[in-house]
Amino acid sequence: MPPLCLRSPRLSLFSQTCPSFQWLPLLPLHYSRPASHASQGRANKAAPGPGKRLGAKKGASELVVPGNIIFRQRGTHWFPGENCDMGRDHTIFAKEKGYVCFYKDPETHPKRKYIGVVFERGMKLPVPRNKPRIRRLGLVGREREMGTLATSTPPGVISGEGDEGLEVGGMIELGDTLRQQDRRTKEKVLELKKMELKQGYQYRESNAHIGRAAERAQVKVREYQRGDRSLARRKSKARKASSAAKMALSSRKKKGSKKGSKK
Amino acid sequence: MATPIYTISPALRCLRNPARRGLIPLSSTHSFKTSTQRKNDTLEATPTSSSPTPPPNLDPNTVSTRLEELQLLQTGIHPIGSRRRRASILSSDNVPFEQMPYQCFQEARAVLAEDRSRKLLEIAEMRKRIAFWQNVPASDLGGEYAKKGKLVRMQKHLANLKILADVNDPVIKKRFEDGMGDMNRPIYRYLADRKWREYKRKIIMQRISQMHIVPDMLPHLDPTAEVSLGFGRRNVQPGEFVDSRVSVIPARLNVRVFDKGERLVSIAVVDPDVPDEERDSFGSRCHFLAVNVPLSPTATSIPLSKLKKEEHIVHPWLPPYAQKGAPYHRLAVFVLQQDDVGRGASLDIKALRDNARNKRDGFQIRRFVDKKPLRPIGMHLFRSKWDEGTDGVVTKAGIEGMAIEFKRKKPEKLPYKKKDGARYR
Repeated sequence: MPPLCLRSPRLSLFSQTCPSFQWLPLLPLHYSRPASHASQGRANKAAPGPGKRLGAKKGASELVVPGNIIFRQRGTHWFPGENCDMGRDHTIFAKEKGYVCFYKDPETHPKRKYIGVVFERGMKLPVPRNKPRIRRLGLVGREREMGTLATSTPPGVISGEGDEGLEVGGMIELGDTLRQQDRRTKEKVLELKKMELKQGYQYRESNAHIGRAAERAQVKVREYQRGDRSLARRKSKARKASSAAKMALSSRKKKGSKKGSKK
Repeated sequence: MATPIYTISPALRCLRNPARRGLIPLSSTHSFKTSTQRKNDTLEATPTSSSPTPPPNLDPNTVSTRLEELQLLQTGIHPIGSRRRRASILSSDNVPFEQMPYQCFQEARAVLAEDRSRKLLEIAEMRKRIAFWQNVPASDLGGEYAKKGKLVRMQKHLANLKILADVNDPVIKKRFEDGMGDMNRPIYRYLADRKWREYKRKIIMQRISQMHIVPDMLPHLDPTAEVSLGFGRRNVQPGEFVDSRVSVIPARLNVRVFDKGERLVSIAVVDPDVPDEERDSFGSRCHFLAVNVPLSPTATSIPLSKLKKEEHIVHPWLPPYAQKGAPYHRLAVFVLQQDDVGRGASLDIKALRDNARNKRDGFQIRRFVDKKPLRPIGMHLFRSKWDEGTDGVVTKAGIEGMAIEFKRKKPEKLPYKKKDGARYR
């Protein structure tokens, strides 16, 4: 400490008068002693939070149905075996109706523990390597209408016979009416609008329905022919003519506006 | 040769020595030629006598434009090797191996040639020893069984020596890579087998385990023959989904075996995924069954539609189909070698047809293989599920019971247990 005292003349004076307290003025006014041991957190055995309710939810040879949770765990203490699967948080659940079986399969993996579901009570897992799997269909058959031979061709526009010919496209609801010409009878017929309540309280036709309007009206588009130069020529001629007309119109407008500005 | 100029114009190097264009005598002989079997050693002799002769201006060794390749393919001859290699042959000097001016290369060839001559001596020695031990009575060798074992071991060693003699020969390697290998010779069978095991066999093994062919259909399967499958012009990869409209026609099989000799095989196409609603399980169905089909390393093609009805076919081709909503069907094609006391044991086709157990529905390939001297040597696999074409296919084939759609069963609930009333008071 003497070199410190030497640095300041005032201090040295003080030290001369009161030698035992010569270091006192260097100390801060408020002093706190730092902790040498954490007061919070895991160091002091943090109090346990709420239990996570992990563990087995079904015991061995207990009946389960598809979706039943068999085991809840953190990490994979248990792996899904026969007719079982693992969820997002490693939960083991049943995929088939059957009885729970906890087992090891050293041939597949010597260290893993598995949970499986067997179809009959008392069946053992793992099944021998070369034994055919026992599988369940789990489906029921319903009657259905068979398609015709021509299913591969795109379905044409459905039009009924006689009076029912008005109903085109199999629409149900009658909304606003539109005039349309029937091809055979050459009469103006009603086109049915299929209005639906859409998102945001929009009461309107669906886009798909609008898109099929031409089909319903039995509009026929000329088939595209490759190398049909005469058609191309006609089209380009028409296009040029129309653009020329537009140009003429716009130029006249411009001219007129310019004149006006000059004035 | 009158090769049009435009075909070679991109390869400017060719212009250096235009006289060499066309049919060129390529590396003629190779020096360690000792085997007597080899006749078509030179590369000019590639087209065999049976195959059609190529047009004079198209050499399968040197065609290098797409147009020329197409023209050559139309004559039924495949171009050899890659286009790049063919183009380089066109412009190279084609010096035979023995005249190449690389000292190290020539030294290496000398070493290989010496090794081969040593192997040939060993082969001759081995043959002599085998002939000797065959004549020794079995009692001197500790019984018939011991003698047989000894002879088998010696034969194996001999076969190994035959391969070792040829395996380092650059010309053999080249001929194999060009697809010109003669599958009657052990070395080419060995090379083909090795190539198959490098990739294709691994794939089929993976499919066998992934799709549970073992153990659903057979308890064990160790393929030793390469099987490839296609419908018309379309080739099918193992396990691929095939549209029902594609698989209407019988498949064409190509089976390459890598061991020598003729044999008879049976071919079975089985579907183990036929929904059985009553049992709430799956049944099995045979889509095709043929027996006594001859097969050898050189005759590999087995078009199922060309097999003779009376001689071979037990069940003709039934197009694969699946009901709507049912899980996919696996269709496994098994090639079963008919091994009896000797090879070529033919099965009694009439008995097979009459046997009620060999019906299409409920056909068990396990049982079929177990009950007969059959050994599965190869398999292929494709899958099929319901698609838009299925209805048409089944109507044409006259298959009943297809107006059905499978839906998932409503999951059952656990039986409800009423708690004791005291809890609710």
